[in-house]
Order: sequence, then C-alpha cells, then structure tokens
Amino acid sequence: MKQKVLLSVNNLKKYYDIPQGLFKEKIIVKAVDDISFTITKGETFALVGESGCGKSTTGRTILKLTEPTGGRIIFDGNDIAALPYKKMRTLRNRMQMVFQDPYASLNPKKTVREILTEPLRVHKKFDHDTRLKKVKSMLEIVGLSEYHLDRYPHEFSGGQRQRIGIARAVILQPDFIIADEPVSALDVSVQSQVINLMLELQKEFELTYLFISHDLSVIQHMTDRVAVMYLGKIVEIAKTEDLFTNPKHPYTKALLSAVPITHPKEKKERIILKGDVPSPANPPSGCTFHPRCPAALDICKTQAPKTSEHGNSHSVSCHLYNKIEEEIPHAISHS
Amino acid sequence: MSEKILEINDLRVQFKNGKEKVQPIRGVSFHINKGETLGIVGESGCGKSVTSLAIMGLLPDKTSEIASGNILFNNQDLSKLTDKQFRKLRGNDISMIFQEPMTSLNPVFTIGEQLKEPLRRHKNMSKSQARKEIISMLQQVGLPRAEQLIDEYPHQLSGGMRQRVMISLALLCKPQLMIADEPTTALDVTIQAQILDLLKKLKAESDMSLMLITHDLGVVAEMCNRVVVMYAGEVVEEAEVNDLFDSPKHPYTKGLMQSLPSNNDRKSKLFSIKGQVPRPSEITGGCAFANRCPHVLERCVKETPPSFTHQNHLSKCWLQDTSYKEVNHDETKGTAIR
Repeated sequence: MKQKVLLSVNNLKKYYDIPQGLFKEKIIVKAVDDISFTITKGETFALVGESGCGKSTTGRTILKLTEPTGGRIIFDGNDIAALPYKKMRTLRNRMQMVFQDPYASLNPKKTVREILTEPLRVHKKFDHDTRLKKVKSMLEIVGLSEYHLDRYPHEFSGGQRQRIGIARAVILQPDFIIADEPVSALDVSVQSQVINLMLELQKEFELTYLFISHDLSVIQHMTDRVAVMYLGKIVEIAKTEDLFTNPKHPYTKALLSAVPITHPKEKKERIILKGDVPSPANPPSGCTFHPRCPAALDICKTQAPKTSEHGNSHSVSCHLYNKIEEEIPHAISHS
Repeated sequence: MSEKILEINDLRVQFKNGKEKVQPIRGVSFHINKGETLGIVGESGCGKSVTSLAIMGLLPDKTSEIASGNILFNNQDLSKLTDKQFRKLRGNDISMIFQEPMTSLNPVFTIGEQLKEPLRRHKNMSKSQARKEIISMLQQVGLPRAEQLIDEYPHQLSGGMRQRVMISLALLCKPQLMIADEPTTALDVTIQAQILDLLKKLKAESDMSLMLITHDLGVVAEMCNRVVVMYAGEVVEEAEVNDLFDSPKHPYTKGLMQSLPSNNDRKSKLFSIKGQVPRPSEITGGCAFANRCPHVLERCVKETPPSFTHQNHLSKCWLQDTSYKEVNHDETKGTAIR
C-alpha cells in the first residue's frame, strides 16, 4: 500500500447544549453529527458546505480546540479524542490551523514579530536569531516585507492579516494544516498568490491539507477529494473530478449550479434552492435536506438516508440512490 | 443615447493622516446611464468603496475632503451639497446596500423600527401606512412571514434574510440609483444566487439604475451591462461587459481574469499578478500598475498614461496608444512575449 492514512475520523460527533432554564429540557444542537472520513498523507481533502453546516466545527474538533462529544479522531496513530492536554499541545506543532476570520484571529496587542515568533517560542524551536531569520523569510514568502515586522494587526488590510495568519501556521512546518476558509477574505489576484503558495508549500514539505471552504472554484482547482456537508452530516464524498463532472446528491447539484458564471455569454441552468439552511437546533425529520430538495420523495420526510457506494470511492447519502441504478436519471432530472 | 443619471468627472478625494495627505481616489471619471447596471471591479484598497461613499456624501468630515472634480446626479453637483440637502437625497433618490448585513443593521431596534425611518422622513407617512408599506416591501424581496418578521430583531434572522432586509430598506423610497457595495460577499453561494436573482428581478420591475461594487468577476458577468475596472484609485478600463470579457485590454484586467481558478488547469500553478496593490502614499509618477505589469515599458514608469478609447472601450495603458504601436510595433510585441 502506497498511501498512508494520516488522519482518520470515525463517527465524529459534536453536540452543543443550549440550557433552557433549570427544569426545562436542554436543546441539543447537533453541529457535527456522525461523520467519518480519512485523509491520506500528502493529499488535499476539502470540506464544502454553507455556513452553519458544521465544517468549521469539524476542523476545530480535529485540533481538539473543542472537545468532541463522541467518535474517534486518529492522527498518525494517536487517538486525539483521548489525548491529555499536554500531549495534545506538543502534537500541535505537527498540526496547525489557519483561521477563517483574519480580524479576530490575530492578537491586536502584539506586533507581527511577536505573533510570528510565538509558535516557535512555544514549541522551543531555534534560538532567538534564527527565529527572527525564519520570521523574515516567512514574511517574504507570504508576500509581506521586513518593514511590516513591528506593526500591529490593525495596520494591515484584511488580506494582509490573513497572510500573517497563514505565515503563523506554516512557520512550524507542520505535517497537517487545517485551513478554514483561508482565501475567502482575499482578493482574486492575492487569492491566486496564496493558493500558489499553499500548493508550493505542499510539494516542498509534503503537507497534508484539510481545506474548508465554500468557494467551489478554489476547491475544484486545488483539492484531491471533496466531502460535501449539509447540516452536520456529510452527504457526498468523491474525488474532486468525479464530484464536479458527476455530482449525485441534489444538494451538491444545486451548490455547483449556484457558482457564478465566468463569461457573460455563458448560459447556465440554475437550480435555485428555496429558503435558508434550517437551524441545526431543530433539524427537519428524515433527510435534513428534504424541505429544500427539488427531488424530494415521500420517504425522505420520515427516514434518514443510508450512505451508498458508487464506485471509485464515491459515496452518497440520498434515498434516490438506494434504489436501482437505472431509475436515477429520471428521478433527478432538473425541475 | 440614453440619459446619464450619474456622472463623475475627475474626482479626487484626499485623506489627512496626521500631517501626511494621501489621495486614495486620483481622478476617477465614469457615468451611469438610466436603468443600467454598472459594475465596479477592483481589489480591496483600490478606492471602490471610497468612491461610493463620496457619492453618498458619507466621507468622514474632519479627515477627508473632495479635492477636485464633481459628482453630478441628475445634473446636480453632489460634492457641494450641505449636510441638510444630502439628507433629503440619501435613502430617497440614492440608496445604498452595505457589505455586511451582520453589522449594518442596528441590533437594538426591530426590523420595523429601522425600516420605517426613511418612510417617515422622506414620505411623511403615518405609522400605520408605513407599516403596510414595509410589509409589502418585505414580501416583495421574498421574505416569508413578513407580518411577524417586522417585529423581530436582526439577530433573529439569518445572513441571507438580513441582506434581504437591507435591500428592502434601500428600495423603500423607490430610489433612482441604488449603490450595492459587495452585496453578496458575506453570503453563501446558494444564498448569493438567490440575492442576485432578486436584484435582477427588482431591476427589471423598476426603472432603477444599479451601481454594483464587487471584486467577484462572476457576479459582474452575471449582472452588469457595463464594467469599470479600478486600480489604485484610478479607472484603468471601462467597457461593455461582453467586450471586457472577450478582449480585456489593460494588463491588470487580463491578470485578474487569468488568475481565476476556473481559467487555469487543475492543480497547476495559478497565474498571479506579482506584488500587491501599492498604498496611496507609494504612488509616484507614471502608471500605477507599472511595478506589477508583465508588459512594462520604459515609458510607463515615467509618464502617466492617458485614457485611450476605441469604440467605447476605454483603457488607461500605453500599450493602447495607436501612434506608439505604429511606430514601434515590433518592440511592443517583443516585450509582450517576454
């Protein structure tokens, strides 16, 4: 076997309680509800979905920034869910995160120099001078320059801040990076620089990425496999090419069709979903997608679908695919 | 020739930063015709939002001023209006949708309280009349259960619903011009598709002009009739949307389009424009894009290019200089390949 599994997530659950008062029953929000996937070394695995579907929570739970409610997360032989705090802390120099919000993820009271040397200091890497050299070269790599060293985060634009965030994660040269919407705050031309940077770093250090994003064009460009999430569940996992050429789940289809066109003359058949993502505190019965699904069947309202395999490691959770293969094209023809 | 609703001529905005003075807007000119959708594209810091704030008269008083140029709205110069006169205009004739639906609604007032403000001020409506009007507007933008929603607070709504509330707020007084500053940037793709669909529908129903500020070329391709591309406080290209996508002329526009992931092979290195947008204080003589341009000529560093227009396709680049091309045709080609 050539490919080594770096991270495997089994039946991961993360529930949040909302207390309703002393004698009332708590409301349980199933932010992440029983998801499983594996990431092999060197690949880029993407989580796609709309806001509130639990993709960020998944990322944070894998890093144990929040405790999982159930399930196992195995990173290179270590079960993260059971690891004590101190061991987890040392393990984090091998797994780092780039956060979603560049405005909130940098300490406003620290200069760039302090922000970037902190991970090296915490993990006791290098001496003082080498650290500074590292920081300077890292700044150069992410497209900032040396004169930014003694500035504070508020002096930067959102895009520049995100690059500092990326520099902070990459500076430890970890094996595994969870990138939570790393480029959604960046401009197109800067976005392409950062994507190139991430691809380059991946080649150089054999990095593995868990790439969380809602931008499908970026995902199509840089990832190997994609998991589509909806309301805390994975509805479809496939190789990136397969997913984009042959999406199976109705939600994936709608998501792909909602991507803006690239040329004004291009005509696109658009499936516009009605309504918003339902609240995870009160999810619909059966298949959670059924109130918005253009191809909903009666069974969808009552029964949650099982996951079925469709070859080439393409799996879908939808009732349309639990029947005979031949019925499929008719059942989901665009309305 | 259609009527111009808004015309901006050589607008310069100046910010004071201590003793330093910077000009984030350096001579911007464009116009919007009646009933058309004009897209303004550019990266953050290129002056798109400052331009829109200048139109709305919302620039901070103490630190900024309009150094020169004028903004003509229905032949009335907005840059000379007093605060009081502006109040009559804002929300009535010109209205604006802001980028972040999360922060642009006041969290301590109900939706109804916020939405009735423009109606009470501009239209002198009674409370009950205003309420009726608001409910019908909320229904028009596709919000369910409008009668209850009017008494709810912003935090009870999702991002897409809040943006719909913002759109209904902007539409209440039936403005002639709506400025939408990145209306869908903070939203998910499926919600973005809904909102763009809504904006298209509303535009088709009324005779409103729309100025759509965005950095997303996909949104532009979908929505706009004409496009203005801005870079570092200047208009570098202006064209019909089809012309722009078929044959972008300015190297910056070309770079923007080529750097889209969908225009590159999967997993390949994306085309990217090297460097970053210069800060306003860093711009000296010559073309502002010269330091990032792949086709830079000697002339670009020394002289600021004027606007060259061919068949309504404006581009601010020396490569478009026909007289120059005729003389030095080979040289231009040579540099372009390099």
